[in-house]
Amino acid sequence: MAHPAHYREAHPFIFVMTHWINLVSIVALTISGFYIHYPFLPGLMSVARGMHFFFMFVLLINLAVRIIGAFTVKSATRLGSREVDTDIKNWLPQKLNRGQMWPWLKYYLFLKKEHPIGAKYGVLQKLAYLFTVPLTLAAAYTGFAIWGPTMDWGFFIAGTDAVGGPMHMRIIHYYIMWGFIVFTAIHVYLANIEGTDPSKLIFKWQETEGLQFDAEGKVIGGKGH
Amino acid sequence: MAHEDHDAIYDLLAARGVSRRDFLKYCGSIAALLGLSQSFVPEIARAVNQAARLQPAVWLHGGACTGCTESMAQLGTPDIATVVLDILSLEFADTLSMAQGEDALAAAEAVFEREGEYILIYEGAVMKGFEGNALRVGGMTGLYELEHAAPGAAAIVAVGSCAVDGGFVMANPNPADATGVQAYLEEKGIDTPVINLPTCPMNPDWVVAVIVDVLLLGSLETGAILDKLDRFNRPKYIFSQTIHDNCPRRGHFENGNFVTEFGTEEEAKGYCLYKVGCKGPQTYTNCPIVRWNRKVSWCVESGAPCIGCGSLDWVDVGAPFLNRHRDLPLPNIGNTQPSTIAGVVAGVAAAGLAVHGIGMKATGRTSGGAPYEEMKERDRKRMKKGGGE
Repeated sequence: MAHPAHYREAHPFIFVMTHWINLVSIVALTISGFYIHYPFLPGLMSVARGMHFFFMFVLLINLAVRIIGAFTVKSATRLGSREVDTDIKNWLPQKLNRGQMWPWLKYYLFLKKEHPIGAKYGVLQKLAYLFTVPLTLAAAYTGFAIWGPTMDWGFFIAGTDAVGGPMHMRIIHYYIMWGFIVFTAIHVYLANIEGTDPSKLIFKWQETEGLQFDAEGKVIGGKGH
Repeated sequence: MAHEDHDAIYDLLAARGVSRRDFLKYCGSIAALLGLSQSFVPEIARAVNQAARLQPAVWLHGGACTGCTESMAQLGTPDIATVVLDILSLEFADTLSMAQGEDALAAAEAVFEREGEYILIYEGAVMKGFEGNALRVGGMTGLYELEHAAPGAAAIVAVGSCAVDGGFVMANPNPADATGVQAYLEEKGIDTPVINLPTCPMNPDWVVAVIVDVLLLGSLETGAILDKLDRFNRPKYIFSQTIHDNCPRRGHFENGNFVTEFGTEEEAKGYCLYKVGCKGPQTYTNCPIVRWNRKVSWCVESGAPCIGCGSLDWVDVGAPFLNRHRDLPLPNIGNTQPSTIAGVVAGVAAAGLAVHGIGMKATGRTSGGAPYEEMKERDRKRMKKGGGE
């Protein structure tokens, strides 16, 4: 047994909520988006569009809440520890991340046997998670640029003209959705491939025991030590 | 006296079998088209009536299929629109002129000398290819003809998509290096105002509306026309709403009643054509309102999905016309649908994860997990080198 302990401090309750809202919104947006792209069943266009516009706002408001939370809520600085600091610090490069990009890559490419030291999030994880912020904003921008009530606003017309018209904007919006699908697939895979403890914590807010780490990333005890 | 003023036009109309009531109704539709209230109807009627001075006009053809001329020729039999169009004294038109050869060109030349007085109507693409020799007129290049005619015109009306941005003539691979009138004149530093009327072909009612606006209501003289044009120099009163906004099949769209295949019951019921590639949601024209062929019908109403001919670069952007998305030209592969590309990328990602998962299982990471490193690799190397930190 060599999994880190998963304590509630890693994901304070508000982030469990925002994660749930993200999940529901993205699934709803993807399904309704596929339907709007090509209505595979009769009779649901109004429902699909209604869902799409509703969850678009939910996702954006949720993103705002998550970002505010990052600056106002404290979360654990690493797994296997209850030591907390302002959440945003866990998103920026930390001491434990330094020089660890290559070891993480090697680990996932099976070129390294040992699990690299990481902070709450590893280098690649931070990059991937942070990337979802611009990805969400890009989905929103391209979506508003092809949505009837807002497509004529100067701010969106400028983008539509820059990409060569609404057809291209539509295709970019479509690809951003695929970006979310691929991100989610990799995210779900990596989060659970070595055990489902992360899922238990983020979905059920359920703690699991495991290895404990000190500030240097060294194992100092806990279950499985 | 006023009554006598009216006599001339009403006699003219009567000769064409049009009643005064029909004429006023038509003026009402022009007012609506121009975004004016119905209180403008008498003013439009008066303007048409008092348009004593004929406005010289020249109709030139670039790389054109003559479809726009054909569209205008719908008005060849007497009707109310021709009364308005009669205000234009068409001194020269490649297709319609009775005169031929040198005589016809001389007539055009005579108009070009009346600087600032004539309207230039340009149909077809400006073909720059082969040093301008993609099109030759009267022994000269088509480019020369345009450059010669444009500077002296009071305004240029670019009719049809080809004149607006090259239309289907500039579709990939565009061997004739076709472009639109406005872009070409900007390139040459000629600043005559250009009014763009895209679609393939253009709608004659739009020409009527523009003539009433520009000539009779004085928009060109006062410069007001410039405020009425959008960023592509299209009159806003024609090109500010999408076809989807005003589509008679919109109810079926909202209800989710779609035609999936032609020749089906859904098609017979007149369901929405969105699934068979209708570009109405992204095409800004008022086709559903003005309609075509003497207001008989228009594309979507007659059962064909909109192919987006009122948009810029409409062939490359809209084809294949029966698909929701355009094709993307991939190097060495050719035209591919965006959904195919997305499916392949996602499939590769999924396969990658599956293979990786097998690797994770084989290395025992899925069950017990790998042991954690004692120290970062970097720190370990530093320690080896010189005693470490």
